[in-house]
Amino acid sequence: MILWCYDGTFEGFLSLVHESYIHKTIPDRITADEITPNLLDERQWIETDDAIARRVAASLNERFSKETLQRIKHTFLCDDSTPERDLLLYIRLGFKSPRALEDFAHPIVYAIHGYERRLLSTLHKMNAYLRFEELEDKTLYARIAPPRNVLPLMGGHFRTRLRGENFIIHDTARSIALLHREGESSFVRIESFETPTLSVEEGSFRRLWKTFFDSVAIRSRLNPTLQRSHVPLKYRTYMSEFWDNG
Amino acid sequence: MTIDEKLTILTDSAKYDVSCSSSGSVRTLDFGGVGSVANGGICHAYSADGRCISLLKILFTNYCIYDCAYCVNRIGNDIRRAAFTPEEVAGLTINFYRRNMIEGLFLSSGIISSEDHTMRLILKTLRLLRHTYRFNGYIHVKLIPGASEDLIIETLTLADRVSSNIELPSSQSLALLAPDKTREKVLQPLTMAKNYSLEHQKHPIGMSTQLIIGATPESDLEILRLSTSLYKKTMLKRVYYSAYIPINNVKNLPSLGTPPPLLREHRLYQADWLIRFYGFGYNEIVDEAAPNLDERFDPKLSWALRNLHLFPIEINTADRETLLRIPGLGVRGVDKILKARRFRPLNVYDLETMKISLKRLRYFVTVGGKLLIDRSMDYQQIQTELLSLPKPPPSAQPTLFEYFYPTVMGEL
Ligand code: SF4
Repeated sequence: MILWCYDGTFEGFLSLVHESYIHKTIPDRITADEITPNLLDERQWIETDDAIARRVAASLNERFSKETLQRIKHTFLCDDSTPERDLLLYIRLGFKSPRALEDFAHPIVYAIHGYERRLLSTLHKMNAYLRFEELEDKTLYARIAPPRNVLPLMGGHFRTRLRGENFIIHDTARSIALLHREGESSFVRIESFETPTLSVEEGSFRRLWKTFFDSVAIRSRLNPTLQRSHVPLKYRTYMSEFWDNG
Repeated sequence: MTIDEKLTILTDSAKYDVSCSSSGSVRTLDFGGVGSVANGGICHAYSADGRCISLLKILFTNYCIYDCAYCVNRIGNDIRRAAFTPEEVAGLTINFYRRNMIEGLFLSSGIISSEDHTMRLILKTLRLLRHTYRFNGYIHVKLIPGASEDLIIETLTLADRVSSNIELPSSQSLALLAPDKTREKVLQPLTMAKNYSLEHQKHPIGMSTQLIIGATPESDLEILRLSTSLYKKTMLKRVYYSAYIPINNVKNLPSLGTPPPLLREHRLYQADWLIRFYGFGYNEIVDEAAPNLDERFDPKLSWALRNLHLFPIEINTADRETLLRIPGLGVRGVDKILKARRFRPLNVYDLETMKISLKRLRYFVTVGGKLLIDRSMDYQQIQTELLSLPKPPPSAQPTLFEYFYPTVMGEL
């Protein structure tokens, strides 16, 4: 089995696409994780090369539609699984014939659509379920740990929604954060952080929200199964209405 | 009274209204500050009964001078009463909104002192939100029937959607159970709104109404006929159906403890969906011979079973409209098929790759000229087999589905 390892960055992945063409090879497995190979495995480290990555990106841009490029990006962000090999096959398929990517019944094309759908569904859930808390200086602060890497796609939505506000969205699972301050956004690594101080009003609004949440259910229609299918338990950590004493 | 107590009381009395919707509104307003309305709406939470929480849905007050028999807030009822101030409602809205707890406000109200007084309080709340807080999120208000035209018109310029509930599907029932209301009076603010947008050549504001199901004897045929004419004449965007939950002990209404007809409500939503998005006429779904929806099958399946002579339909050649009429295919399935068959003719395995379930489909289609069932099957056999299929998981109300993927999730 041919096993390719790389550093997990998008640049690294694009370098790997290049490698695949140069050596006319499709590895059996691509991974960014530390793994102990089998004796029979042929393992190879693919070096990330920014210049090569930029060249590959340029030819992707030339060759593919905007939707396809989006789809590649979205698929790559599915870090809950290892979509790299499918993505490589998808890109190779597209280079051979862009029309082949429209064959929705092709297993690879279908699989890529599936990755994208799952990513967008996570994105949609995070946009809906994250909660901001107001800090002392009025900055809005939210903590998330989504099952797929959606933070890079969250900026636009909250920038339009919270015009004129400063906000921080902190992905604690990946130790990255989106900072939005005076109209400027940036991504930063967060190695360590202290729990920030909340504004004095924060507690009372959280209580009022809980009051609303508890009052809104119609008792003759209680349906915890349905509730759970909408809001899986893993999202509830961020939603103060599910805390017992919000 | 603390704001917490008010919130408890005024949320509690608002929750029996199902028309909590922020979907499908095209935004034309911009107030400069905080807020946007995401396309398709967003559920920020789901309450313990599984319903979407998207809006801060409250009554301004549950004081009321009216005496509608089906309503908790009717004048004679001995309940705890409360009233917000405009400042309180605006403050709650903006603060929940900034924390990403809601998409906006759904404000309804009992009639306090007079129609105009009530409308003015609501208007003041809207002005605070839009002008002082520059709130740009979603606002749905219940227009107060009988309020003056200038108040209604100003409200229209500040809200995203307005509604006025007809509640009872026939004038007789209305006269019997809501003596202060007539259909004309309830529709009057909606007619004003419609005329206003026509005169000013504006994109019409989203309008909706609600019908109570199961409180009075109207059949599904009467209900769907009424909805159809409301969609056409009054340009309503949505009609909501609400299974009646008995609250008061009144002689002309189902007694306390009668379970709300949830399945019937669900079937009506499905039928409504077919009318709005699948090109069905109400009289294809119900007719004089069978004026009520079959509770065993969804309305599309039920229609197909009554029209077996139109089937089987060839997946590879039928047009979009025809494909949409096949039980087991929704908008998403149809779009997959249309997309994939542009490329090459499809076979059964392609359908499987695309995760299109054949469970129901197989009775109604051919794929590349091939039938998927025994040619000799008749209506009885198909019906028996369909009835023995495992039941789908507990159904959510289609209204709620729409929040996520407006055209995709309401599939039958
Ligand atoms: S006017 Fe509205 S709040 Fe008042 S009794 Fe009738 S339905 Fe209830």
